[in-house]
Amino acid sequence: MKLLRTLSAAAALLAALSLTAFAAPKSIKVATDATWPPMEMVDTNKQIVGYDIDFLKAVAKEAGVAVEIKNTAWDGIFAGLDSGQYDAIISSVTITKERQAKYDFTEPYTSIGQILVVPKTNKTAKVIADLKGKKVGAQIGTTGAMEIKKVAGVELKTYDEIGLAFEDMAAGRIFGVVCDEPVAAHFALQKKEYKDKFKIVGKSFTKEAYGMVVKKGNKDLVALLNKGIKAVKAKKLDAKIHTKWVK
Amino acid sequence: MPKNPASHAPIEVGDGAAIPNKNDAGLFTAWRIAFFGAIFVSLYLAFAKPDPYYEIFKFVPDGVLVTFKVTLGAILLATCIGLITGLGRISDNRFINGAASLYVEVIRGIPLLVQIFYIYYALGRFVKIPDMLSAIIAMAVCYGAYMGEVFRAGIQSIPKGQMEAALSLGMSRRQAMRQVILPQAFKVVLPPIGNEFIALLKDSSLVSILAVSDLLRRGREYASETFSYFETYTVIALIYLVMTLFFSKLIGIMEERLNAGK
Repeated sequence: MKLLRTLSAAAALLAALSLTAFAAPKSIKVATDATWPPMEMVDTNKQIVGYDIDFLKAVAKEAGVAVEIKNTAWDGIFAGLDSGQYDAIISSVTITKERQAKYDFTEPYTSIGQILVVPKTNKTAKVIADLKGKKVGAQIGTTGAMEIKKVAGVELKTYDEIGLAFEDMAAGRIFGVVCDEPVAAHFALQKKEYKDKFKIVGKSFTKEAYGMVVKKGNKDLVALLNKGIKAVKAKKLDAKIHTKWVK
Repeated sequence: MPKNPASHAPIEVGDGAAIPNKNDAGLFTAWRIAFFGAIFVSLYLAFAKPDPYYEIFKFVPDGVLVTFKVTLGAILLATCIGLITGLGRISDNRFINGAASLYVEVIRGIPLLVQIFYIYYALGRFVKIPDMLSAIIAMAVCYGAYMGEVFRAGIQSIPKGQMEAALSLGMSRRQAMRQVILPQAFKVVLPPIGNEFIALLKDSSLVSILAVSDLLRRGREYASETFSYFETYTVIALIYLVMTLFFSKLIGIMEERLNAGK
């Protein structure tokens, strides 16, 4: 009897919740791969922090929705969106044609480029093509990996996390890493184990824009997030977040 | 005395297992259904839906080769480590025995994935080991501990009388071990070693966490670019299945050959 009563109470609560769902602020689940500092990472307090996270929170506030952030491995982050484990992705996702064919993007919220990091001992390399016959690393399924793949004669090695690629370069197994410029700056210029070993060469060689990703056809959510992004940009909150995280 | 005289019928003693497995005979064995079924499904998918299935099959063969190399290298190394460990575990020398036991206890208590990470990244800080070799070493170090236990059990399963008889014939302990005990033990350990072999083949997928382009990583690379996760993992599963079934058959044949010479 008691179980029945609890169940019916729960059912009534659920019904009440779904009735008020239109009025009350919605809650959305957003996935991120928190291994991409300073854009998204886990800090020493086990909190997911970073540029994207602050940006997402600002957008959610402007759009009037609650967000729940879920830390997910990059390899398969899109598959999780497909299977409905979360509603959106904010994880430094570059808007590309291939991805747009499969998913819907919000409008771009920041722009970056790919950049090459090599050991300081390498005095000659300026672009990826200078590393012909050598192994160059990137995180699996990122635009960085795709850029390396485009260069003939360079062997691409893919890693589950970008930090592992830098670790492998420190061990001397690969001779270059390609990733987003802020990430490269974090690993090559700020991390004390790597500061003396690595350097960034040249300027970023692609023009990319990050967007939030939702399932194809989820127009309502895109509209909602776009509304938030517009408001954040209008209030110049994005510039504040940028100076906080990207040096 | 039992009252029923029929229970006095002579009991025939034959060769082979005490309880024969009747399900292993006939045209439709489980093995055949699984092996040819997997091949049939693969061919069907590749022809019926070439995009993406044929594309995936075209993308992964070098990964199969890497998986094959890692497995074979690791199994050879692990067998050597296992044999040494197994002998060490039954040694009377306290130091050798202790070292072998410590190795088994420590390695068995740490997940393979952690070991692979550790050997690759921690060792990589001090010595430059190529990635493939360090993957093989990590797999072999882990499986060597399990194999050590298999060998120990196998050697200990040989009756004590065998050693005593060999010694009384004037053989040295070492000779007796090599010529009398180990050949018999080998027959006993072959099935469990076959098991380890197949487990190792599947666990070799864990080296994909290192940037070793094995079968699983090739699949993940394909999937992460094309977003066809379901199709890719179907293909990966089918290929692993065919590989493990192929090896299990190979081990089965070896077992039969050895038993035929009884």
